Formats: sequence, C-alpha cells, structure tokens
Amino acid sequence: MALPLSYSVRNVAARPARTLMTASVIALVVVACSLFLGLISSLKRTLVSSGDPRNVVVMRKGSDNDGSSQLSLESYQAIRFFDGIARDTEDQPLTSPELVVQPFFRTREGGRENVLVRGVEPVALAVHDDVHLVEGRMFTPSSGEAIVGRGVVGRYAGAALGDTLEFGRGRWKVVGVFESHGSSFESEVWVDVRALANDARRPFPYSGIRVRVATPADADPLMRRIDADPRFALQAERETDYYAKQAESANSLYVLVVGIAVLAGIGAGFGASNNMYAAVQARTAEIGTLRALGFSRAAILTAFQVEAVALAGVGFVLGAGCALALSVFLRLLLGGVAFGAATFTTNVITLRVGAADLGGAFVLAALVGVGGGLGPAWRAARLRPIEALRKA
Amino acid sequence: MLAVLLVCLLLTMPAGLDAFLDNIASNTRVSVHNKAGLVYAMPYAFTRKVRQIDGVAAAVAMVWFGGAFEEAGRVTFPNFAVEVEHVGAVYPDYGIAPQQLADFQRYRDGAIVGRQTLHKYGWKIGDRVTLRSTVWPVALDFRIVGEIPNDRAPLFWMNREYLDQALKAQARPGLGIAGMIWVRASDPGRVNAIMREVDDLSRNSEAETSSETEKSFFSNFFGSLKGFVTIILIVTALVALCIVFIAANTASMGVRERAGEIAVLKAIGFGQRVIFGTLLAEAMALSAGAGLGGVLLAIGVTHALRAFAGWSPSLGPLGSFIVTAPVIVDGAFLSLFVGMLAGVVPAYGAATKPVVATLHEVF
Repeated sequence: MALPLSYSVRNVAARPARTLMTASVIALVVVACSLFLGLISSLKRTLVSSGDPRNVVVMRKGSDNDGSSQLSLESYQAIRFFDGIARDTEDQPLTSPELVVQPFFRTREGGRENVLVRGVEPVALAVHDDVHLVEGRMFTPSSGEAIVGRGVVGRYAGAALGDTLEFGRGRWKVVGVFESHGSSFESEVWVDVRALANDARRPFPYSGIRVRVATPADADPLMRRIDADPRFALQAERETDYYAKQAESANSLYVLVVGIAVLAGIGAGFGASNNMYAAVQARTAEIGTLRALGFSRAAILTAFQVEAVALAGVGFVLGAGCALALSVFLRLLLGGVAFGAATFTTNVITLRVGAADLGGAFVLAALVGVGGGLGPAWRAARLRPIEALRKA
Repeated sequence: MLAVLLVCLLLTMPAGLDAFLDNIASNTRVSVHNKAGLVYAMPYAFTRKVRQIDGVAAAVAMVWFGGAFEEAGRVTFPNFAVEVEHVGAVYPDYGIAPQQLADFQRYRDGAIVGRQTLHKYGWKIGDRVTLRSTVWPVALDFRIVGEIPNDRAPLFWMNREYLDQALKAQARPGLGIAGMIWVRASDPGRVNAIMREVDDLSRNSEAETSSETEKSFFSNFFGSLKGFVTIILIVTALVALCIVFIAANTASMGVRERAGEIAVLKAIGFGQRVIFGTLLAEAMALSAGAGLGGVLLAIGVTHALRAFAGWSPSLGPLGSFIVTAPVIVDGAFLSLFVGMLAGVVPAYGAATKPVVATLHEVF
C-alpha cells in the first residue's frame, strides 16, 4: 500500500520553518554552485574559443604574443602572395595585417586599465569571420573612427556607440559594436591600422599578420614556408594554438577558481545533505507510527524519497532563479569580470549563467536530495516500529 | 572547519593585494610613464631632466625586456633593463648588498634577481642564465651577481648598456627610450611637487608623462582584478551563509539528541541560565576549535600553493597567497560568530522548555 502523497504535503504545513530552511539551504547551494560554474564556463569560453583553426598567426620570431611582435611592410607584402592563402570574391588574399597596442583606458570608476587596441584593415572582418558587428557599422579608414567589442562597452569612459574614446594621443569616435561568441576579441577595440601606427609612433607598421588558409591542407606547407624564409625571421602558428598558449598563462587563475568551486561544492553539498538528514531524522517517531499502522518499508522509503527530491527540486528552482537574477545584477553592477591577459591587457568576461551551469547545479541538488534523504529514511524504515515509537 | 579554510583562502586574495600595496610600495617612490600607456615609451634623455628636479634623490629608467627562460617561450617573471648606476639608489629599501650592487655595475652581463625567481629555478649567485627576449630580437646570457632578498620578489634586472650594445651589434638603433622612470624623492613631503614638475616638464612634448606614487601605480596596475575579487567575495558570503544554516542545524540536532540529559540536568536543579550558557559555550568552543583547524589548514594550503604558484600576469599579487594576521582574525571571528548564531536558538529552546515537557519527550 502506497503512502498517500498528502502525508508529505501536510508535513510541509506542519513544519513550515524546517522545510523552508532545508529548501533554502539547497537554494543557497544552488546559487553558489551555478555562479561558480558560470564564472568557470565564461572564463573557459574566453580562453578557449578564441581563434579559428583555418587561420594562421604570423609574428616575429621569438615573440610570444601580438603585443611584443613587430613586422615590416615588405614582409607583409611578400607573405600576402604566398601560396595556399584563401582569396575573397574579388580575388584579394584574405590576409589581415594587424598592429596591437596596449594603451591606457579610463574606466568609468576613474581607474585605468590597459586595453588591447587592434589596428586592422577592413579585410579583418573577413579573416576573423566569427567577429560580427551587432550595432552600428565598420569604421571608415583614416577618419578617426573605432569599433569596440561587447565586453568593452560601458566599462570605459566613452566606450559606447556614438561616444568618443580617448586613448593614445588621439580621440576616436565609436561607430560600431562587435561580438565574437564570448572570445577575447570582445575585450578589444579595433581601429584603422595606419591611424594607430601613426598615433603610437611605431617604427614598424604591423605587429603581425592573420592569414586565412585556402584549404586545411595548405596550413602546414604555408607555416613551414614562413618559418623557413630567411628574409624576414618570422614564425607562423595556427590561431587556435596561439590562443591556447595565451590561455596557459591564465591557467593558474582557472585552477584557482575551479579549486575554490570544488571546495565550496563539497562543503555546501555536505552541509545540505546534513540538513536533509536532520529533517528526516526529526520524524523518526512518525515513521514508527506509520509502520505500526501497517505501511510497508518500501512505501515509507518511497514517500520520504519523493519528498526529499521534491524539496531539492523546489530548492533548485528557487536557487536557479536567484542565481540568474544575481548574475544579471552583477553584470549590471560590474559590467563584466576582468582579468589580466598575457599581453598585459584586460580581458573582460561577461558572467553568464547558462543552461550547462544550471545543469551542474541541478546534479548537485539532486545528489543532495537523494543522498541526504535516503540514509535516514532507510534507517527509519528499518527500525522496528516499537523502537521508533519509543523514541517519541 | 572546511568552511573556515575556504573563507580564509578566499580572503587571502584581496589581503594579498593590500599587503602588497602596503609593504612593497614606498611612500617616497614615484612612477613616471607616458600618459598614453606603458607601451608608449619616453625619450631616454628625459630621465636626465627628471634627475635635475629639485628634491629628486635618484631616478632610474627601466625598459621591459620581456625575457623568456628556456622551454616556456613566454615571460614567467618580470624582467627589465635598468641603469645599473642608479637602480640601487632608487630602491634602498630592497636591501640589496652593496657589494652585489657594485658587481652589477662592474659586469656588463650582470643581473640582480629576486629571491622568488631564484628559488623557482634553483639559481644561485654566480650562475649563468640565458633569456630570449619576446620584445627585442635578441637572446642574452647573464651572470647572476646579486639578489633582492625578499621571498616574494620575482624581479630580474639587467644592465641597460648590455641590451643597448646587443641591439647596436645587429645594426639597429640603440635603446634610446625609457619605458618607465622610477624616481625616489629625498623626502615624502616633496613627492607631490616632484610629480607636478615632471608632468609640467613633458607637457606639449611628443611624450607627455603622467606621474603617480608607487602605491597608486600598482593599485591601478592590478585594479582590473577588483571585479573578480568582488565576485569571489560574493560567492564566499553565500557559502558562509549556507554554513551558518548548516551549523545551526547540526547544533540543534546535537541538542535534540541530548534532550534527555538536559531534562535530567534540569530535574536535579540546574538553572536555565546555566544550561543555556553551557550549551552556547559548547557550540562556540566546537566552532572555535574547527575554526582554528581551518586557519591552520589554510596556512598549510597557502604554503603549498605558494610553492608552485609564483608570478603570473593574470593573477599578479593575488597569486602570492599570503595569510596575513587580519585574515586569521577574520576567520577566527567568523567561526565564533557562526558558533554563536548556530548555538543560540537550540540552546535557548532547550533551556526554556519546561522540565516536564522535556522529560516527557524522553520517556
């Protein structure tokens, strides 16, 4: 004979404080867990998703990033016509010469941060085809215009569509905003490459070239040819490898966050199951009574298990709602979470709690619900009714 | 206990930042750099003009070398080319031995290295190391002639002339620039005047400068980490809140289990206050014990972490994992507070319940 569901429902009415506490502890655990998972996955997205396997990065030999590389106009013009480079509809090679500078930007709070400013030509949007404008338009070369990444908008003074940014020696009008699926490009500002070289008084016009290969098989021969060319002392690597190497320097940060999250998860999960355990244990006498009335062990176990899972479910829903609200609130408050990149520039990650993060939190809540409820319910169901009753 | 460990660990991050700013930054040192950013250099000759300003005790020009050691292929500790004859006078507080500073001037390929980096790579004074620059097209051999005797100093200083000549040997123009100029004022009261004069001196030139105190420089440099710390602190607060709930629950379980004992104690005449006090004291003692354990564990863990953490551009001083005295006090107070919060409700309940009711629950 199954225990009627109304028993569990009435229990909530009979012990509102305790039930609420159990549910809210689970909710808190879910909030903490999903925020952490959100932070981890946002961080990972920025670190890992940058770069395109079809692109090759060309830099001066020995440089470890765009920011410290230099490259001459002659080498760009030579490499542009190497074999194996993809071409656009007008038969122009898809090679994007780029100059990276890290000037100070004023944050809205009055601090200052190094921001990666990338000087590009309009072809850059074709080479980096995951970068797309979501507002406004592409800048017009040599007219003091800039487009800014989503992560930069609102973080710095003047970094909004239609506003004027001040960095380096000049002023730049923001005419567009771009996104790139959360990759590190979103923390950058793009301007005309010649204007930037002029502003930064750079002896070399470029710091590197990004090349789109025609077919995947062309990448290796092209990279070998660039590496081996004695005229320029350049090195080439796949864009994905390049960003993977950049991400290594943020590994300590990543490990730290994951470490904290694991510790917090263990602590909170342990505590929440403890809470659940107590909630069931407090009702030993009731279980004894139910047994005395003739309900089977299986029925009692099922009822308690259903109740525990339902409670965990309520806690999860509450917690997930809070986590989403909190992440939106934090986004508005902080406008993204910044960390220093290997190029000494600021990477801004937008804290997003996605479905996968909530899924992780759900697994934890379910573990707490099932694990925390099973132990005491099983023990209580196994007690002889007379002993359980004696405890009352 | 786990909770206190966690909270202590998390608190070390902002504390590390504060400790860094308070301890390392001197109140007489000023940073001068191009207003547009650290990668926008200043003409080297500007250093000489700065030196002539009244109240400037010493000034040194630094250039980022961006040297990578061995396999890494990337910069694993900050390294700069400095003016060997001036650097000692700008950093007297670093406590570098005078003999080592003299050697630094004598040997063109000399280097002075912070103890953190020395330990990390197992280098000793007298060793030779090669760094390949990621900024300049050179790889240079260095002879380590001195150390900065501070376990947390990752710095590596080399002779500016050495780099300059290496560049000229490649038929390139020499250095000619100063990335940063560090100035030491003869007395703290002159600092503001010096900063103003330096910036006035460069006004309307190709490279306008902006000067700031060392503390302000580093707090700006690491300022972008603040948002990150905020998030961590928020989550920590959430976890701490969870823990209060959980501890309260555990304490009430403990009291419930001993309902019989408490009833007997009351029956033989112990007053409500005594029972309340005993239970509360017990809860607090327990959590204080756990807190102590947590703090000790945190110290142990941070030591372990520090061993392989080292310098990293993404963490900055957050990676130095220092458990400072305030962090320990915070942790201890937190655990006492948790104990009190958690103990007070069940202890009060147990103490005020009539004897008969309690005994009734037992028998």
